[in-house]
Amino acid sequence: MSPVNDPESDLTRKERREQARAQRKAVEEAEAGQAAQRKRLIQLGGVAAVVVVIIAIILIATGSGSKNAPAPKSAAANSALATVTKMLQGIPQKANVLGNPNAPVTMQYFGDLECPYCRQFTVTTLPTIIQKYVRTGKLKLEYNSMETATKDPEVFRTQQIAAYAAGKQNLAWYFIELFYHEQGEEDTGYVTESYLQGLAAQVPGLKLSEWSEARNDPAYANQIVTDAQAATQNGFTGTPSFLLGKSGTTLQKFESASLTEAGPFEAAIEKQLKA
Amino acid sequence: MSSRALRITMIVLGVIGLGIASYVTYVHYAGIKPACTAGESCTKVQTSVYSELAGVPVALMGLIGYIAILASLLVPEGETSRFATLVLTVGGFGFSAYLTYRELFSIHAICEWCVTSAGVMTILMLLSVWRFLRGERSTYEPQRSGSLDAQPTPQVSPH
Repeated sequence: MSPVNDPESDLTRKERREQARAQRKAVEEAEAGQAAQRKRLIQLGGVAAVVVVIIAIILIATGSGSKNAPAPKSAAANSALATVTKMLQGIPQKANVLGNPNAPVTMQYFGDLECPYCRQFTVTTLPTIIQKYVRTGKLKLEYNSMETATKDPEVFRTQQIAAYAAGKQNLAWYFIELFYHEQGEEDTGYVTESYLQGLAAQVPGLKLSEWSEARNDPAYANQIVTDAQAATQNGFTGTPSFLLGKSGTTLQKFESASLTEAGPFEAAIEKQLKA
Repeated sequence: MSSRALRITMIVLGVIGLGIASYVTYVHYAGIKPACTAGESCTKVQTSVYSELAGVPVALMGLIGYIAILASLLVPEGETSRFATLVLTVGGFGFSAYLTYRELFSIHAICEWCVTSAGVMTILMLLSVWRFLRGERSTYEPQRSGSLDAQPTPQVSPH
């Protein structure tokens, strides 16, 4: 019973108690940690599962994503028709030319009716040009074809002839604008005979029997060949492409910095008007 | 990595993502061509039918998503805020994966802004999973380490 040993043994007992407590605490903490970790893993799994389900729903809802052309009497088609009619009404048309035949400046627009960039240009930028320069008689717009987005040459020919044939009744620009406004998703084969018939039925004042007859006119097939030659001669590699200049002169290639802004087109047209 | 360093890294990534989403949203509403080294690819993606979901531009969704992620990172850190960041980034990652799938297999064009954002979101998601799973460790560890490990103690030293 050494008084020196007592504190040591007390200390050891105390130490042991503390160690035991610490161990218990460590075990408890480890268990609590494991439980928390399990809970977190379950939560993570739950979140991942919910996200997977939501993405699957989005994938199914957006489907193949093909944007089908609207049916002729649908709300979308009526809306497109209202926009196009408002834009073109009262502007003279002759064959594939829109605007005053004596306009001082001419712009040729080479496009593929199935080309999404052409659609973008036609829907966003062209209305400004039409409103500002074509409606005021300063510019005439000539639509020419160039095969780019349409993969099947026969489909390209058929749809382009359908557009030019509406020009026999001086309504080609209605057909062209409606085609672009209601354009379907690329490579989905949405351009069928019934699609073309549906578009024609929308064109205000188009006599369908005359239009059908005009589609057999070889002049339009020849025009497509001429368009292709002009596109090659001018070194066009994509659509939309443009030629611009004083009417009656040799038009020059015009490349815009932007297809979705009218600014560069306006500047180029203004330059021609002042020349 | 300390929780502070991890949080700062994630905030920096969130700000980068926010910048990208802001630019792409601006491009969408301004109707201008996005700056793109891959020719017309970005325009093709931006003007595709997939650029909107239920009429809402996906760029705007991304912008809102990054704002929410940053908000979850800027509030005082806790289990709830870490879970919120996790939910947002896992959701963002899933949505980015969907959009990248659409770019590759539906639009057949890649928009570098979208791919960069998807990359940022992937890193954010991985970091937020790590941050969520490791829990409070970095906050409490320095105070608890003494009781758990055999640390140098005064009682061994007298000899």
